[in-house]
Amino acid sequence: MHIAEGFLPPLHAVGWTVAAAPFVVHGARAVAKEVRERPENTLLLGAAGAFTFVLSAIKLPSVTGSSSHPTGTGAGAVLFRPPVMALLGTVVLLFQALLLAHGGLTTLGANAFAFAVVGPWAGYAAYRLTRACGGGLLPGVFVALVVADLATYLTTSVQLALAFPDAGSGLAGALVKFLGVFAVTQIPLAIGEGLLGVLLFRVLTVNARPELERLGLLRPVAEPTAQEEVR
Amino acid sequence: MSGLAVDDAAWASAWRRRSPGDKLLLCLGLVVCALVLPAWPGSVLVAAVAVGLALGPARVPARTFGRAVRWPLAFVAVGALTAVVSVDGGLGWAPDAAARAGSLVGHSLGGGAAVLLLATTTPMADLLPALRRLRVPAAVVEVAGVTYRLLFVLLESLSTIREAQTARMGHSTWRRSWRSSGLLAAAVLTRSWDRARRMQEGLAGRGLETGLRVLPEVLPSSRLFLAATGAGLAGIVSASLVVA
Repeated sequence: MHIAEGFLPPLHAVGWTVAAAPFVVHGARAVAKEVRERPENTLLLGAAGAFTFVLSAIKLPSVTGSSSHPTGTGAGAVLFRPPVMALLGTVVLLFQALLLAHGGLTTLGANAFAFAVVGPWAGYAAYRLTRACGGGLLPGVFVALVVADLATYLTTSVQLALAFPDAGSGLAGALVKFLGVFAVTQIPLAIGEGLLGVLLFRVLTVNARPELERLGLLRPVAEPTAQEEVR
Repeated sequence: MSGLAVDDAAWASAWRRRSPGDKLLLCLGLVVCALVLPAWPGSVLVAAVAVGLALGPARVPARTFGRAVRWPLAFVAVGALTAVVSVDGGLGWAPDAAARAGSLVGHSLGGGAAVLLLATTTPMADLLPALRRLRVPAAVVEVAGVTYRLLFVLLESLSTIREAQTARMGHSTWRRSWRSSGLLAAAVLTRSWDRARRMQEGLAGRGLETGLRVLPEVLPSSRLFLAATGAGLAGIVSASLVVA
């Protein structure tokens, strides 16, 4: 759910751009430092951005017969950490605006704040909390992706409510309206993306275990000793 | 064909050889006009000019332009309707519902058409070097460039794997469809890592040390185009101020 071009009043568009800027700049610095120290990681970071874009093109099956698309930022936050996702998410939003006409240029700041900042940070916090409470990788991934989606949807609803308060009941009434209208698509989408994340990471733990170990998501399996190998 | 209709239209556009800076100035000027001028007549004029230029001199297919605005239109319709409904003591319309809805739709259509004019006439490969001139760090522009180039490879993989899954009844039931979607996402992610690793090894073999330098294509600016842009934008602002 991206806010379309021209939908936000000019002051709100500028305000949300200013709010998102420190996070995106922090992400840009993190990426620039990584590329300076390890130029070979430029390609891995580019691949992560492309994967986030392409993940949003996967159609999720829906009970209603319609289809919806995941945001991909929750999975990105677990795999690549939120600061990197602040930048990659903003790049993906720019590409979605210019390649798919989703979102816009004046609403890029507001969409980046919801999609690339709040979503990844909330999802990553939920992931760390689940792991700290003794949850495994897959429960952690499910919670992270659901929370990232719901946080993005909640933030977008707040942005719209602030821009268009209800004539009678003000901000609270407007928030109830926008949360209610978009809940129809966004709550099933959040649960669906959580399930997709579990299926994705279950395959990755089998097929891409070394990569997950390198990213710190799984503990390396201890090498068998010579005595064990003989047995 | 890249698989993204807007990108295909940009590469095939009659304005492809025009300077990206010229097109950026025109389209961003139109976006700002659509946002700050009154919806009537400002945003309506912007929408008319953007659609006219895209379908006329830039020769963007009308079908591509029309299909691209479907999703934004759906959001604008739902969003505008929600904004003008009042929930104070039961459902009803806000006092100035029609004017507010018209204004919202006008601003969004005008701005959206201007962004789409830029998107359907200027490939991303031409726009990314412009980010360097806006002092975006080179590393960030490089990562964005790799993202742009890799996403077509991954979209093709996505389409091929999905076709194979469908042919093997992978989407015949709800349960199988979920399983196939998970496998699809995992396959695309591992392929993206594999592609990146192989490209990195190839570039390392060619002495990659400082960055992915490519020879930028020089597309000269046109004074006539810039003069017409200035005159057009001034005309839209003047007409809006006179009528409003």
